[in-house]
Amino acid sequence: MAQKQPRDCEMLESMYSMLALVFILVACVELCDAATVVDVYRLIQYDISGVPFGSRLASLNHHAGSLHFSPGADLSRTVVMIPVRELNISFVKEYISQKQPLGGLLFLLPEMFRLENEGGGGISSEVQEKQLIKNVLLELERLLIHAKMPYPVYFAFENDEIDSVLNDVKKNDATGQPATATTGGYKLVVSTSEAKKVASPTITNIQGWLQGLKAEGDVNQLPTIAIVASYDTFGAAPALSVGSDSNGSGVVALLEIARLFSRLYSNPKTRGSYNLLFGLTSGGPYNYNGTHKWLRSFDQRLRESIDYAICLNSIGSWNDELWIHVSKPPENAYIKHIFEGFSSVADELGFKVGLKHKKINISNSRVAWEHEQFSRLRVTAATLSELSVAPELLESTGGLLDSRHFVDETAIVRSVKLVAESLARHIYGYQGKNINIFADDSSLAVNPSYIRSWLDLLSQTPRVAPFLSKNDPFIMALKKELADHTDEVNVQHEVLDGMFTFYDSVRGRLNIYQVASVTFDLLLLLALGSYLIVLFSFLVITTRGLDDLISLFRRPPSRKIKTA
Amino acid sequence: MTIFHFFNCAILTFGPHAVYYSATPLSEYDTLGTSIKAALVYLGTALVKLVCLATFLKVSETDYFDPYQELLKALIGFIDVAGLYFALTQLTHRNISQNHKFQAVGLGWAFADSVLHRLAPLWVGARGLEFTWDYILQGLEANANLVLSISLAALGSLMWLRKNKPKTLIPIIYACAGIVATMPSTTSYLKRGLGWQLPKVVGFELFTSLVMAFISWQLFAACQRPSS
Repeated sequence: MAQKQPRDCEMLESMYSMLALVFILVACVELCDAATVVDVYRLIQYDISGVPFGSRLASLNHHAGSLHFSPGADLSRTVVMIPVRELNISFVKEYISQKQPLGGLLFLLPEMFRLENEGGGGISSEVQEKQLIKNVLLELERLLIHAKMPYPVYFAFENDEIDSVLNDVKKNDATGQPATATTGGYKLVVSTSEAKKVASPTITNIQGWLQGLKAEGDVNQLPTIAIVASYDTFGAAPALSVGSDSNGSGVVALLEIARLFSRLYSNPKTRGSYNLLFGLTSGGPYNYNGTHKWLRSFDQRLRESIDYAICLNSIGSWNDELWIHVSKPPENAYIKHIFEGFSSVADELGFKVGLKHKKINISNSRVAWEHEQFSRLRVTAATLSELSVAPELLESTGGLLDSRHFVDETAIVRSVKLVAESLARHIYGYQGKNINIFADDSSLAVNPSYIRSWLDLLSQTPRVAPFLSKNDPFIMALKKELADHTDEVNVQHEVLDGMFTFYDSVRGRLNIYQVASVTFDLLLLLALGSYLIVLFSFLVITTRGLDDLISLFRRPPSRKIKTA
Repeated sequence: MTIFHFFNCAILTFGPHAVYYSATPLSEYDTLGTSIKAALVYLGTALVKLVCLATFLKVSETDYFDPYQELLKALIGFIDVAGLYFALTQLTHRNISQNHKFQAVGLGWAFADSVLHRLAPLWVGARGLEFTWDYILQGLEANANLVLSISLAALGSLMWLRKNKPKTLIPIIYACAGIVATMPSTTSYLKRGLGWQLPKVVGFELFTSLVMAFISWQLFAACQRPSS
């Protein structure tokens, strides 16, 4: 026996080191076994000239609550889950304006806003609901973008799992037991590191060039017509900001116009005596910063050769009226010429085009329309848009609402017809004549499926410029598409300057855990303890007798050593 | 909090083994060596079982209860009995009484089973934030398993070690041992064949384990009488 003891000890010791190793390995395994994991999209976090806006935190680890909390409850450690369908905008307003403490906010967007959800439902029963949600979302987004919230704010899409969680939370709240650390409930966890500043965000402009046909012996430079659309977006949730209408519709129209004219220009007989310049610019929401840089990079001769520029902005959801916005007075000969060209084509197509004049103020840094950047450099330009008034900064730039559902592709088709037809009449000198160059059944007809496919792609691609890298697949796709239709494509990378600072971590994964409360665990421990004590007493009594059990408590603990 | 929960579940799963060891005379006679040996035998048996399962059983993609496969599984389950036989009869124990021997073997057997089957899921699962009743039920299952293992060891020691037992009791002993040995297959059938929920299955296990323990105890006591 004396020999055996040390051997056992040695064995045990070697086992211990093995066990320790195993435990270290096991402890390293990261656990993720939540009841539900959903994708969440964070509210944008940005600074304007150092003034903070948006959601200032990214990581989330709090209990879930609903809007049915008992009045006066402390919500500083609660994430309030709010379905947008039943959003109480005054609550949000109150909490944000009074800077009340909150653990976080989680907005649940209806399923139909999901990016992969294509093909915009036109079911009549949904129309009213859509309209309702539209108004609420517009107000909410405006509120959230211009407020500063010292807690994380996330968006998620409703699904069955999250709905059942929400129902449980509501039930819990209705009984007057707010979920805290001691009463159990659901815990919402988004584990990310804190958001970091996006260092020197780049903006990428893509330009395509279609060379016109020079007449023999003509020494003068050919005039140029520019067609421009800004493609990037800005919205409450950068990862959801697809901007189908603003300005996906403009991009789609530009690509289709490029495709149409490339067919005309590929044949020397039909090549016009105008150069065509296609520009996909970035930085649109930030006073058209990309357009500004792009224009500055032109050499003097090119800039002077530009006859006029047509900017396309939000042309995907209008019914019977489009607007041409200009900065020069309508009496100006060039403007008159452009407007008359457009309105005559519009008359033939059966809708109206209106002219809006807005003077530019050089001292004000705000640039509401893209053409104003051209006008500042004394280039004649106009913006074609469905919006009748200039949007405010960071508005109508592709927010939560601006999804595929609210864009009508026939509107884009009509806009393309308008622009292409007016340009073609100008180029080939058919002004005022009723000649349909891009007639519907000809080989030059506008292709609705091309428009649809690009619109679908744009409606699934968030395009907030600071979060698009230089070689983003989307930018590459745009470049390739433009290269297919034009003679020469240039890509220009610039640094977004100005007063904006952005922060990353725009999306995350939300783990929803059903947790037990500490009290439950304490009670469980008590129950287990008493169970073991009862078991011990029972075993001692049955195997050794009651006396032994009593003597166990009487005698000093040295008793064991004696027996050994 | 979650470590707390893990701790609770661990107490429930492994506590009874420790309590059993310290409360019964096992600790007084220092039968730890026997238990460890039984646990090692269990490890070997589990290995052999795994090899057999991997060799003879098809991998079922569905949770469907296939009687033939289950029968095969039950037969392979009897390797356990062989292992127990080996542990009870072939291992050279220090001179401890049969009475303590089967308890020590059963305890070691059950403990090894718990460690092998329950420790890893417990460590991975109960530490997570998510709360489920599964680990508490699993702990209760471990308790039932302890009782069953000791009962089986008791019946085994009656079958293989005790020579002068009443003839009338022999068939009963064998029948009981058969029932206890097929318990894993029975629970598997309840779970998959009848689609019982885990709480119900655990309740059944607890109930049958107590019944079987009582019967084995009575049998053991009945066999004890003539010798004393």
